[in-house]
Amino acid sequence: MDVLIQIVASGLTLGAMYAVATIGLSLVYGSLNMLNMAHGAILTLGGYICYAAIVHAGLNPALALLAAAFVCALVGLLIYFSAALPLLRAENFETNIFIATIGIGSVIENLMLKGFGPYPIPQPLAVDGQVVIGNVHIPLQNVFILGVAIVLMAAVAILLQRTSTGRAIRATSMNREAAQLMGVRVGRVYAQVLALSGALAAVSGIMISSIATLTPVMGADPMLKAFIVCVVAGLGNVYGAVIAAIALGLLEAATQYVLGVRWSFATLLLLVILVLIWRPYGLFGKQQVVRL
Amino acid sequence: MTEAALEIVDASAGYAGRIVLDAIRLSARKGELTAIVGPNGHGKSTLLKAISGLVPVTSGEIRLDGSRIDRLRPDQIVERGVIQVPQGDLLFPAMTVHENLLMGAYANSGGAAERLDFVFTLLPKLKERRNQTAGTLSGGERRMCGIGRGLMAGGEVLMLDEPSLGLAPIVIEQIYEVIFNLRREGRTILLVEENAERIAEHADMIHLLDNGRIAWSGLGAELMARPEIVETYLGV
Repeated sequence: MDVLIQIVASGLTLGAMYAVATIGLSLVYGSLNMLNMAHGAILTLGGYICYAAIVHAGLNPALALLAAAFVCALVGLLIYFSAALPLLRAENFETNIFIATIGIGSVIENLMLKGFGPYPIPQPLAVDGQVVIGNVHIPLQNVFILGVAIVLMAAVAILLQRTSTGRAIRATSMNREAAQLMGVRVGRVYAQVLALSGALAAVSGIMISSIATLTPVMGADPMLKAFIVCVVAGLGNVYGAVIAAIALGLLEAATQYVLGVRWSFATLLLLVILVLIWRPYGLFGKQQVVRL
Repeated sequence: MTEAALEIVDASAGYAGRIVLDAIRLSARKGELTAIVGPNGHGKSTLLKAISGLVPVTSGEIRLDGSRIDRLRPDQIVERGVIQVPQGDLLFPAMTVHENLLMGAYANSGGAAERLDFVFTLLPKLKERRNQTAGTLSGGERRMCGIGRGLMAGGEVLMLDEPSLGLAPIVIEQIYEVIFNLRREGRTILLVEENAERIAEHADMIHLLDNGRIAWSGLGAELMARPEIVETYLGV
């Protein structure tokens, strides 16, 4: 029983981090058909900005988190105006933006390397203490991460389902031309989605670095896992991505316990291959059932 | 003569350097039903897309109440009150019927509640289906939802692109009953239709579009009295 509690606690923490990292990626793909390869670098940047805001600027942790989210939202906007907008007007947008965001991610990583150095730095935003369930000691940091992730996911769900802006984002992702005919300014929607994605990446980066350490390349692994979650869920499916992220987090935690840490990533990749063979559009993919 | 709501003055438009519409000149007068008929692939849908700002107008002008709209973005054209119900309805399939209707009022949310009541009165089936996702509606229901969504915008000109396309005859009758009711209420409607016979009796003015040019304009009865035109251009 204790083992199960441990696996569930670790799995939910991992899943929550993957979910927050994935939501932004999935929103951007759903709206723009854009695989944002700079997502991992933005995620890392969020972690560093939070660190700098607390350690160098003396901000309290909550303000530091908001500052990181704000700056990364601006980076998202910068990517829209500097790369996505001009490339949207040309052919082969999906390929061109894929390559362009690899370049942007590389620039951000190198700027962080220059600014903060290559050595690991601990994230000061940490919650001390632990809760005990049965004989299992669960760090409060994990509970904090889960709590932040739940609040963020609920906020995104309310935004998408209950607000006019959210409906415009969903409409644009379902049919851009129809959305335009409803009066949706799709350029503004794209900018909003990239800004939101940047802010979510920042929070994700802060959470991940709070249980690991900050390094300029720390975003690569979570971005890869976020892509895996996206593919398993079905590219662009935000709610499916949240479910898939939690499920993959639990699977990873279970694999780490049963087979060892070195097998966890291989298991995830094997799962992606199986899902793509079984359902090429992902578990919650975009194929719609429409009556004729 | 009634004042023109929408005027298209020598407008040409097309895709990637290919001209589809060549110096089109027509108008849709206020409170009237203006129909564009013609064979498939001769520019009828492109004309509506050009009016909506989805296809660039390369020369000429499109005016709404005398003001040019052909340089505006699609969302600005919708804000001015030119609403299009596109071919194949283009609903948002994962949204409910209610959400689709709310999207219709996206650019003009003032008075949306009253317009929703009006849509549910005019199209009661939509009220029954309000919580159903649009992707699971039947073809006729989807078309009704598309028209309802257009009405939710509360615009000045309602443009309908082949609302009968792909539907069973009985459903087509129901759809046209709704459209003709809207005409009787004094709505300004610009209707694209392949079947001239279907709308000849009700249209105030019919324009025949052939190869991107206006080949003939006149009243519906006049068109049906010219069997050589109907046979040549419409294959009836």
